[in-house]
Amino acid sequence: MKYESQKVAYKYFLFATLLFALQVVFGLLTGAKYVWNFDPLIHILPFNTSRAIHINLLVVWLLMGFMGGAYYLVPEEAETEIYSPWLANFQLYLFAAIGVAAIAGYIAGWSWGMPFLEQPTILKAGIVVVALLFLYNIFMTMLKTRKWTTIQGVLLGGLVLLAVMFLFGVFFMKNLATQYYFWWWVIHLWVEGAWELVTAAIMAFVLLKLTGVDRERIEKWLYIEVGLVLFTGIAGIGHHYYWIGTPGYWLWVGGIFSALEPAPILLMVADTLKDVRDRKAGITNRIALYWAVGCAVMHFFGAGVWGFAQTLPQINKWTHGTQVTASHGHFAFFGAYAMLNLTMVYFALPQIKGLKEFSQRLGFKAFWTMNFFMIMMVLSLTVAGVVQVYFQRIMGLDYLTTQGYMRLWYAAFGASGLGFAAGCLMYVVDFFRLGKSTAKS
Amino acid sequence: MTKAQAKAVFYWGTALSTIILLVLTYNSLGQLPKRTNQQMLTAEVAQGKWVWQKHNCNDCHTILGIGGYYAPDLTKEMAHRDPGWVKNFLKDPEKIFPSGRQMPNLHLTDGEITGLVAFLGWVNGIDTNNWPPKPFAASVPVQGENPGEAVFRAQGCSSCHLLDGIGGHAGPDLTRVGARRSSQWIEEQLKNPKSHNPDSIMPGFAKLPEKDIEDLTSYLAGLK
Ligand code: HEC
Ligand code: HEM
Ligand code: HEM
Ligand SMILES: [Fe+2]
Repeated sequence: MKYESQKVAYKYFLFATLLFALQVVFGLLTGAKYVWNFDPLIHILPFNTSRAIHINLLVVWLLMGFMGGAYYLVPEEAETEIYSPWLANFQLYLFAAIGVAAIAGYIAGWSWGMPFLEQPTILKAGIVVVALLFLYNIFMTMLKTRKWTTIQGVLLGGLVLLAVMFLFGVFFMKNLATQYYFWWWVIHLWVEGAWELVTAAIMAFVLLKLTGVDRERIEKWLYIEVGLVLFTGIAGIGHHYYWIGTPGYWLWVGGIFSALEPAPILLMVADTLKDVRDRKAGITNRIALYWAVGCAVMHFFGAGVWGFAQTLPQINKWTHGTQVTASHGHFAFFGAYAMLNLTMVYFALPQIKGLKEFSQRLGFKAFWTMNFFMIMMVLSLTVAGVVQVYFQRIMGLDYLTTQGYMRLWYAAFGASGLGFAAGCLMYVVDFFRLGKSTAKS
Repeated sequence: MTKAQAKAVFYWGTALSTIILLVLTYNSLGQLPKRTNQQMLTAEVAQGKWVWQKHNCNDCHTILGIGGYYAPDLTKEMAHRDPGWVKNFLKDPEKIFPSGRQMPNLHLTDGEITGLVAFLGWVNGIDTNNWPPKPFAASVPVQGENPGEAVFRAQGCSSCHLLDGIGGHAGPDLTRVGARRSSQWIEEQLKNPKSHNPDSIMPGFAKLPEKDIEDLTSYLAGLK
């Protein structure tokens, strides 16, 4: 860490960590409703409410992690202090307050009712304000020195795209098909566009600092990767336009472009591994390195492989809107974005706290536990999904009868979820242990 | 590859893909009114859509295949349920499906329910490129299976009725229904359950093809 104001990132990571834990708690509550038919909470926290909270917490903690990552990264790239640390703090508290209001609102039955975008419109306006404050602060910091590194450019591009796309999910449209058409501009163009840019930039930064490889090379690959991500991902949105009322040509456009989406992700894996092999520095922060490499690999399997498996219309026709989708959702969000944030936390936190050396035992335990059980969760959901496709879509059994045949796999999913929660807890404990320690050496 | 070439990949790739998306969006938005029967999208349908959102139905049910996976997809709901049954169900779902995974009572007003039914009816008309697909098996009876049995399975009658020990409990056990009911009576029950019990919660199946009704009737009448 070179600049005092990079410390504001710590609070972002702290909030993100707490919300991550809460997300997992709500995941368990939601999953339990699949495992047992009887739901004692049906009148207090029915499935839709707890699912909304689970996925909203996910998005909020990931965004907070990105923001913290950006506040840590930009000063070092721009070689200056943050334009306004006060604004950075204020913006975090405002975001957190909106989050609390949203969750309390869901429990009280206040919802806008589109998945992931359940926030009532006033709260969405607040989120837009938060985004504007954040972008302003980041942009002004960059403007202080005008060192337009590629990493900064890609990061800023990703963040601006992220904020702009959100606007397509704010307005009520009478036509459900149109509403969902633009809903995907938020959801798909986030996870397969804007967020990929943020990830590519943060990953490039971490690898640059960890391995000490040549910046020229990193930045050159960054352009290519990001270029291919957008080339395949923007028109690749067509893989969501097969069955929502949109014309038939999307089966071609979506199928072809989205089938290419794994290519840039594979390139990122190769690139990461090459950087690690060619490292010029001795790496003491091995845990950060593990998260970085693990993220690249899990990103590829979760988004690239599990996404590809259901992206061709001939297959998607059968799997669309089943637990096969949910298995990919978990794998991709965890592999690509949760792990990215954990990479950044393990990279930045020791530096913020001035720790040259620290015990990495618990960190490694958390790493392996979370990864192992996430894979088990994903496999359970995948099998549940295949059972569902077979009985419901191919054999023509009715929905609830089919759900009965899936219970074993829901139970396996729930049990793996408990394991994952244990790994998450280890991480939380480790975070506080690192956060409390101060430099001794 | 030089950095300048890498930059070119980035700019051209992004520009090309963006142009494709924008052009096709323009075209799709032009076709959507026809493909979704926009002329039938009345104020009541729009109000129903808002009720659907306000109660966050979509985080349990998928619609157009998107949403929570906890409850059945509702895209084509009105193709196999009649409006009266749906209204009755929405009034008190826990009463109609008292066992198994449950839908909570959302305490909807009559106005809200009417809007929802109009909304679902309109959604049913969206041209979804034939999604959800017709099951392979439902139309082709399993070897040696009575065709009526295939209809029974495909229509999900077992969610309410026991048959040979399998199924739900909302309606009577049908294992030996042929011993107590005549063919005509059964046919009447299938087409219009309210004719026998004005408060019946059983959906009417008058929408099924005549052949399916006949098969189903002779199958049930034969269960003695
Ligand atoms: C929502 C639950 C439900 C579903 C689905 C359902 N039924 Fe029923 N059914 C009932 C109830 C309840 C009764 C009791 C009489 C009444 O209230 O109409 C009944 C009565 C019957 C009876 C008369 C039994 C008797 O001896 O009185 C027959 C026959 C029957 N159903 C056949 C079917 C068939 C065939 C299907 C599928 C095509 C079906 N039902 C689907 C709830 C259901
Ligand atoms: C890190 C990147 C990604 C994330 C976080 C992600 C996440 C998700 C989520 C959450 C959904 C479900 C949305 C819903 O209906 O609620 C989804 C759907 C889908 N994703 Fe991804 N995804 C990613 C990348 C990809 C890639 C690279 C591909 C293709 C190669 C892909 C293909 C699909 C397809 C085809 C669907 C629709 C599934 C269906 O029809 O039900 N995804 N994704
Ligand atoms: C203990 C751990 C967890 C459990 C038990 C759990 C359970 C669930 C359940 C039951 C759903 C609802 C599925 C449905 O709509 O039917 C869900 C949705 C979702 N969860 Fe989790 N979850 C857990 C952890 C996570 C983690 C760590 C992530 C990501 C980092 C995640 C991301 C998601 C996403 C993206 C969805 C929406 C899926 C979609 O729309 O396809 N969950 N989760
Ligand atoms: Fe997508």
